[in-house]
Amino acid sequence: MSGIRKEFGSTVALSDFTLEIESGELVCLLGPSGCGKTTALRILAGFEKADSGTVTVGGEDITFVPTPKRQFGMVFQEYSLFPNMTGRENVEFALKLRKAGSAERKDTIDRLLEVTGLTQHADKYPHQMSGGQRQRVALARALASNPRVLLLDEPLSALDAKVRDSLREEIRRVQREIGVTTLFVTHDQHEALAIADRVGVMSHGRLEQIDPPRALYEQPDSAFVAGFVGTVNRIPAQADGDRWRVLNRSVPGTPTVPGATLAAIRPEQIAVDVDAAGDDTVREVVFLGPLTRLTVDHGGTTLIADLLTSEFGGAATGDRVRVRLRDDVDEIVLIEG
Amino acid sequence: MRRRFDTATVIVAVPFLAFVGLFLFVPTIGLAIKAFTPGGSFGFSAMQRALEGTYRTAFINSLALAATSAILGGVIGLLLALSLRSLRRPKWLRSTTDSWSAVAAQLGGIPLAFAFIAAIGTQGIITKLLNQIGFDITDSGFSLSEFWGLVVVYLYFQIPLMFLVMMPAVGGLKNTWSEAASIMGASSGRYWRSVALPLLVPSFLGGLLLLFVNSFAAYATAYVLNPGAQLVPLQIRFLLQGNVITGEQDLAYAIVLWTISLLLASLLLIAILQRRTAKWASA
Amino acid sequence: MGVGMKVLRAIFLILLGLYFFVPLLAMARFAFQSVPVVLLTPEKLLEGWSISGLLEVFGNPEFQRATLISLQLMVLAIVLTLVLLLPLAALVEIRAPQLRTLMTAITLLPWVVPPVALVVGVAATFRNTVPWFLASPYSLVPFYVLWALPFSYRALDAGLRSIGARTLYEAARVMGASTFTIIVRVIIPNMIGAIIAASVLTAALVLGEFAFAALLLKETLPTFMAEFQRSEPRAGMALALAVMLLTALIIWIGVRALRKRGMDLQAAGV
Repeated sequence: MSGIRKEFGSTVALSDFTLEIESGELVCLLGPSGCGKTTALRILAGFEKADSGTVTVGGEDITFVPTPKRQFGMVFQEYSLFPNMTGRENVEFALKLRKAGSAERKDTIDRLLEVTGLTQHADKYPHQMSGGQRQRVALARALASNPRVLLLDEPLSALDAKVRDSLREEIRRVQREIGVTTLFVTHDQHEALAIADRVGVMSHGRLEQIDPPRALYEQPDSAFVAGFVGTVNRIPAQADGDRWRVLNRSVPGTPTVPGATLAAIRPEQIAVDVDAAGDDTVREVVFLGPLTRLTVDHGGTTLIADLLTSEFGGAATGDRVRVRLRDDVDEIVLIEG
Repeated sequence: MRRRFDTATVIVAVPFLAFVGLFLFVPTIGLAIKAFTPGGSFGFSAMQRALEGTYRTAFINSLALAATSAILGGVIGLLLALSLRSLRRPKWLRSTTDSWSAVAAQLGGIPLAFAFIAAIGTQGIITKLLNQIGFDITDSGFSLSEFWGLVVVYLYFQIPLMFLVMMPAVGGLKNTWSEAASIMGASSGRYWRSVALPLLVPSFLGGLLLLFVNSFAAYATAYVLNPGAQLVPLQIRFLLQGNVITGEQDLAYAIVLWTISLLLASLLLIAILQRRTAKWASA
Repeated sequence: MGVGMKVLRAIFLILLGLYFFVPLLAMARFAFQSVPVVLLTPEKLLEGWSISGLLEVFGNPEFQRATLISLQLMVLAIVLTLVLLLPLAALVEIRAPQLRTLMTAITLLPWVVPPVALVVGVAATFRNTVPWFLASPYSLVPFYVLWALPFSYRALDAGLRSIGARTLYEAARVMGASTFTIIVRVIIPNMIGAIIAASVLTAALVLGEFAFAALLLKETLPTFMAEFQRSEPRAGMALALAVMLLTALIIWIGVRALRKRGMDLQAAGV
């Protein structure tokens, strides 16, 4: 997709939006609601017409190709299975539309039902299935027609946490297995970071940054991305030659905007030592299983630190501590002035 | 197995059941007994005669009228619900139609017949207006007291009634279904044929039944437009008012029993059809 | 949706609008303009309008009697409907949901035995055994309640379900309230919308029912209207229009009351 612009009335949903997905790649569009990610997906699907710009798939310009002729597959947020058809019939409907013969249909259905682990529930009607089963059927149905592109519109957001995690893994596995080019839209950063080859962060109709999950997390291009992906502490840093002084250490840093002096420090980059003579005070201790999250008052600003529970010295609310940058942090990102 | 009933529920259920029993079952059963005992002894003669001659005609006419007005009203009511579903712009239109339908669905009877007489009766203003532009309604064979005249009048409450029945079902069609179908490669015609219409069928059948019963039993409108019409409800009136030789009450009982059986049969038929077409909705 | 479809839809909606609106206009003209149709020309369109005919009807003692009877029947039918159905529907929903199917079936039965059929049965059984019962016009009340059942019960049932009556019941039960208190203090105040709907549907039925009353020779508003129009066509038409508007107003009040509570006035839920 390139140079897409879309307005609804006076609101600009997308402006100069360009996204390129490699063949077989899984790209996530991540952003708060109203950022334009769903609009981008719907334009790609052909449900909405872009005001300007072009949509190309495999070198073919499909900007004006109607949805049914695009040969895409899509999984919606919820309630997209046809309630008057069983799981199997839903999948079969997609195959019939592609004019597959009955023998081929049966083979494909059986294979897809097995891949998605649905063989036992295939003859139930959607209202008899759990949310997770429905989304599996929806996935099988979307893949049935051997789509050029698979579109996933918040497919996990209506499910409960446990099902969400397992289905997420499964989508990833099936997507790799089949090798289908995929666009996944979500507002859930954990989901995006866990599943995608590359994650595109959107805000106000623009693509702020698109990078592999780890790069996105460690080298955010902007304050928005730093704040939206993961938790971040904003700590003032002093220029120290070509290095930057943050907390107790001086490290190399990259400003994202000219004149930026606020360092974006992740909670796990902070270490907390119990020290009765320390200047900082523990405000809150939350046990998160493998991690323990401390909220610490550091000279008037509140910092969040995630410590490995196994390494945590055992401070309590009100204890005096000393906050420092972990020794293994060798580079920081500076955001904002 | 013994079922335990809730005492409080029993206390309030008994008066209700007594009420229905006394005012619905007692008269109906009494009538059925009399229909099968013409002249005091058991026999089928009354039941048989009730389906002969003019009474047979009356049943055929009533059936045709009920079926025609139900199907036409049903289709137009459904189309109305569908057109309003995708309509966004005049915002008031949707809510006005909702309210108006609730009103019009109940506006059968005497006043409605009068309204149509004033509009397209022989002295009606529309009749006159059409005459001015060279179209003579009476010459065309149309008359409010004939079959199609009654159909036109009945549609006035049938269409809104179907609209009310279909609106929840039509409103329940999710946009994602048509989008999902379209991305799978289905044309919009295919979507309607394979998904949307099958989903609407159960409600539509229920609506058809409602409309059918409604017009089969309609009395007042037909009475005003054509008191002598060969329709079952009007024939019952003749028999009941003793306008025929004495001893014909048995015939009235038989006609009514046939009517009730017919309506009951259509209720059961629709229930079965609904169950078959809505197997996807039952647990 | 293509342009062609949009045009078709607009034409369809306009034609339907005319179909529903024109007869009412024609009725109003006939009722309030004393110019016979044959003499009506464009110049005379504004002549001879008056509502004197209608006002005269209001003074007619027979009309007043019939109206009074109809209004009494209406109030009695609503009261009887609510007394019989409200506690029962509530208890079935919160205490005995296994009876729901049975109630749905029973309340559908009056459909199968319409007024013009039941009147024959009533004449056959009640006339011989309890002739005094049919002598009074109030004997119509139970039958009107009966025919309103498919609508009134469904309205109440839908109301109970939409307020989540069983959850309310359980919540109040945990706080120690008795079933009686819960129904009177919690359930009923929450389902005023459905109660209005049931009442409105019953009222509309009473104001329109003709066959049963006419065949039992009772003078109600509809039977009076049918008689009166024969002798006084114009005033009769005015009266019919007035009754129609009154019915419409009653139903409209019901629709408003429901919409305020986010519900719709539905036909019998088949």
